[in-house]
Amino acid sequence: MIEQYCVAALIGSAVTAGLALLVHKVRSSKAMLRHDSATEDRINTLTQDHAHQSGLIDQREQEKQELESLNLQLREDLAAQSELLDEVRMSLKTAVQDKDQWAYQAKQIAGEALRLKSLAATFERWHEQMNSLMAQNRDMHEKNQELSSIVRHVVIVSLNASIEAARAGSAGRGFAVVASEVRTLAARSEELSKSYRDSLHRNDLTTTTTFQDIQAGGKMISASLSSVEALANQFQSKLH
Amino acid sequence: MISSHAKDSIERIFHKAAQARLLLDSGDVCEIVAIPQGVADAMSEGNVVVLTISSIVFRLLLILHFDEDASTREYFAKDAANGAFQEIFSEIANLCCGAMNQELLQYFPDLGMSTPYVLSARCVPHLSELKPDYLSSYAITINQAVRIAATVCVCAHQPVDFVADVSAIEESCGELELF
Repeated sequence: MIEQYCVAALIGSAVTAGLALLVHKVRSSKAMLRHDSATEDRINTLTQDHAHQSGLIDQREQEKQELESLNLQLREDLAAQSELLDEVRMSLKTAVQDKDQWAYQAKQIAGEALRLKSLAATFERWHEQMNSLMAQNRDMHEKNQELSSIVRHVVIVSLNASIEAARAGSAGRGFAVVASEVRTLAARSEELSKSYRDSLHRNDLTTTTTFQDIQAGGKMISASLSSVEALANQFQSKLH
Repeated sequence: MISSHAKDSIERIFHKAAQARLLLDSGDVCEIVAIPQGVADAMSEGNVVVLTISSIVFRLLLILHFDEDASTREYFAKDAANGAFQEIFSEIANLCCGAMNQELLQYFPDLGMSTPYVLSARCVPHLSELKPDYLSSYAITINQAVRIAATVCVCAHQPVDFVADVSAIEESCGELELF
């Protein structure tokens, strides 16, 4: 009996142990399964993370390349800008030199215009010479008038001579011829005097108008030179 | 050489200048009538005042014919001494020519004007010697008593064409050019 109990106990223990082992195995399997599932999830998550990180790395790599490319371009641009800046500096330097030169030339033009304005004195001198010429013309007019007066007197004298010759009759014939000849010469002298007077008047007009043209032209030139001088001074003051 | 527009313009400019400068009082009446050149040439008595306006393209002569008769002397040089008449009339002619110069400056920027000079009226027929492209004479009567004459002579070196607008009201008395 005891043996039976012992066998039964052993069998019971064995069954219990078997059951316990079975329960344990089942539990272990479940735990293993749960652990496997979690691991798999973890692996999946890590795989996804890895893929994401790989994408990010690629993106960063691309961005890095872009930045390097941009950097290169910026370096090239900087070099070009530096070159351009040097050119601008050179141009500025040239412009400053040109400006100084222009200012100097403007000053020279203003000075020349000022100097040339003294030409007005020359025109005035010519005008004075015209006055001198016209004084000579007036003198010739007076002399011509005197000549004309003498000629008229000669005509009267020749007429008187003709009258006296007629009174003398045949004795005065020769004298009448001379008196007639003198009258003819006086008439020719009178014509010549009139012609000379006309020439003097024409000379007066052409002399006066010519010298007035010179005088007026001189004033025109002086006014133009004043304008040039003013413009040159304005230009010079703007450059400074 | 001088277009018909330019000739009309010169005539209008002369009329305006004469009306403005030859009258000493605003109430005076001035009558300006064009006369044939032959009539002007025949006026051998008396003297003329000659003035020149020069430009690059032309020169213009203004010739004012005057007699020193009582009415003319009374009008222009009432209170002046006997010998001063020519000087006074020359100054009036200078003002008249100056007014023309001012008008012409609007169309020709480069102009210069001479000082007046008195010549015998017998010089006027010889204007043809200058080979003028425009020659016009006028009889001017002031207050139906004072009679003077004027001749405008233009010699052109290049074609002259402009249209003058003389309708503008004169603002100043012009520039008195000393001589």
